[in-house]
Amino acid sequence: MAKLKLATQWLEECAGCHMSILDIDERIVELLKHVELTSSPLTDLKHPPEEGVDIGILSGAVGNEEEVQDAREMRARAKTLIAFGDCAVFGGVCTLRNFFTKDEVLRRAYVEAESTMDGHVPEHEDLSPLTERVMSVGDVVPVDVYLPGCPPNADTIWYVLSELIAGRMPKLEGDKTLKYGLDG
Amino acid sequence: MSEVHLTINGLQVTAQSGQTILEAARAAGIDIPTLCHHPMLSNHGACRMCLVEVKGMRTLQTACTCPVAEGMEVQTETDEINECRKFSLELLFSERNHYCMFCQVSGDCELQALAYRYGLDHWRYPRPYEKMAVDASDPYIIMEPNRCILCTRCIRACAEIVANHTLGLRERGSATMVMADLDVPLGQSSCVECGVCLQVCPTGALIDARSAYGGHAEEVTHTQTTCMQCSVGCQLDVISRSTRILRIHGVWNTEPGGGLLCVDGRFRPLYETRERIAQPLVRDHGKLVPAGWTEALAIVAKKLKSGRVLGLASGATSNEALVAFAGLMAQVGGKAGQTMPALPTLGFGQPAAVQDILATDYIIVAGANPLVYQKVVGYLIRRAADRGTPVALIDVPRGGLEASAVLSVSGQYAATVTEQAAQAQAPLIIYSVGLKPGVARALKPLAHARWLALAPGRNSLGARAAGLAPLEGHDLTSSRFDVLFFLLGEGSEEGGVMPRLDGAFKIVQTAYRSPLAEEADVVLPAPIWAERSGHVTNLEGKTLPLNPVVPMPDGVRDEAEVLDTLRTMM
Repeated sequence: MAKLKLATQWLEECAGCHMSILDIDERIVELLKHVELTSSPLTDLKHPPEEGVDIGILSGAVGNEEEVQDAREMRARAKTLIAFGDCAVFGGVCTLRNFFTKDEVLRRAYVEAESTMDGHVPEHEDLSPLTERVMSVGDVVPVDVYLPGCPPNADTIWYVLSELIAGRMPKLEGDKTLKYGLDG
Repeated sequence: MSEVHLTINGLQVTAQSGQTILEAARAAGIDIPTLCHHPMLSNHGACRMCLVEVKGMRTLQTACTCPVAEGMEVQTETDEINECRKFSLELLFSERNHYCMFCQVSGDCELQALAYRYGLDHWRYPRPYEKMAVDASDPYIIMEPNRCILCTRCIRACAEIVANHTLGLRERGSATMVMADLDVPLGQSSCVECGVCLQVCPTGALIDARSAYGGHAEEVTHTQTTCMQCSVGCQLDVISRSTRILRIHGVWNTEPGGGLLCVDGRFRPLYETRERIAQPLVRDHGKLVPAGWTEALAIVAKKLKSGRVLGLASGATSNEALVAFAGLMAQVGGKAGQTMPALPTLGFGQPAAVQDILATDYIIVAGANPLVYQKVVGYLIRRAADRGTPVALIDVPRGGLEASAVLSVSGQYAATVTEQAAQAQAPLIIYSVGLKPGVARALKPLAHARWLALAPGRNSLGARAAGLAPLEGHDLTSSRFDVLFFLLGEGSEEGGVMPRLDGAFKIVQTAYRSPLAEEADVVLPAPIWAERSGHVTNLEGKTLPLNPVVPMPDGVRDEAEVLDTLRTMM
């Protein structure tokens, strides 16, 4: 059987979700028997292959225009899209800035921070503008599998991936597989 | 009450008329999920988790409020019901901040557990991200409205259990918020800090300031013991992790208080600021210096053998220690007694239990101030008043109970109360050390009354039973005694008889540094409530167990053991 193609991308996140993919430990060997890892922060390839992948994983929330583009690209190229981790599923800790306007947040960070002198809000064409609000992946593109957790625990990650490898749609329910936050 | 027959999920169930579907189902071992329901509170029907299908009824019904009826056919887990439950959960999660990742109850949260159960892997509705300020104005209880689901358990507990009516709701619809009084910070409100709201909150909306993030349900130990902070003797569920006490809960449906606690029992012992004494101290060249037990006890034994001894017990200790103390004092031929004032006797009527406060038709409070000294009794009196039981006060200082009273008089008008109560079937007289003989006489026509005597201090009845009578009014001057042995326990010397024995040799057995301990010639360390084994006698006269939650610090020994050792040295 041909290997399934897997692509991952991180958006606005702490990188903990991608670390947690490695937390499946020796099951990685089993995973790689069935899956070919294409683009990913782990392989340092930035875009999923144009011909598409079977499984796309997006971790992190969507908080700037570049992340909107990344999410759309992954959606367009992945048959099954997983929103991976609390930020991707719910918006998570990144949504703390939603209690303020975009300008308030930038001014606080770059001008008013106690450790900053003569600060200014950086502007450059390479810097992606912030969206008005931080969104979950599901707010931006349709999602097939929601895998919450901060980070998701290894058993749940393995459950989701092994179900997809077996050609089934995973169903997260009950406290064996469904976990929010650190409750892993 | 009559039997009612119904089927739940096809199962034949027999229930009592007046029961709800939820009660009938749970009695039959059928689980219906709930969130706003709490077994100690009235039912509210707010959260929609307990929705069930009743054949013939147009809409789904809340099982917690819907009474059973003959022939009823109930389904509790259909696809439609479960879809509705999931939908309600989704709305609850969307409304405020229910991100579990930084919530202190994640893992122990009733809302989270239900979301897992119904497979809520995401929610579809955008969050409004409204700014809601956390209220940390109270030293013990933090109100975190972002986590609140408006189940009103805290409000019902405040009204129905402690009868304080501090918490309520303001606004309507999505603007609804739990507030204290007329929307003031909790720390400035009429809250009495009994903490019962903390114990019933199903989410992280009410936070125990001390133990937040201190340990999950599966990591903690529960120890039941008796509160030693006053004479009521409430049962405590002390929650600890390793040797750290996290928090204290009341034990539901236990006598005397039914699970209700007060600030003195639930919070203050965990916020103790006095300096602990962890090894014997002896006076050397005018200064108290650490000493070994052998040295300290040798000095004590020598003094006890050589002088005229006065032994004073505060009652902030166990029955076992008090018995050993009385025994030692008898052995050395000393005068011994307790510092607490004498509790008068009424001279008529039958004794009552604390729970009888809720089962009487007239309450007389005389010469007592339970809202200050035996708070749980005070709260139960207010609860009885809320239910319509008349409460009359005689010689009760102003300070809260008058708001629940139909009558408040000074002792000279006690006969007016007797007249008012004469019609009652089962009047209850609650009195304490302030009961004047004239008042007792004036109440005497109520010969069928029952009484509850609010023993002063903590374990003054235990001291009494050990033969340590109050020394109020006795001549306790230094000309009569050479040695003072003060069994202070973890109490303070305030509020009792305090002899001036300048020149006498002073031995103090106590847990904490205090002005009295500073004056002592020998200080023997003692355990505190959480370290004790043994018993206390509560104001009902019941002997209640003390169970150790944490070990005594090295260097501290149980008082009874120390006193028994001294007896062998005499």
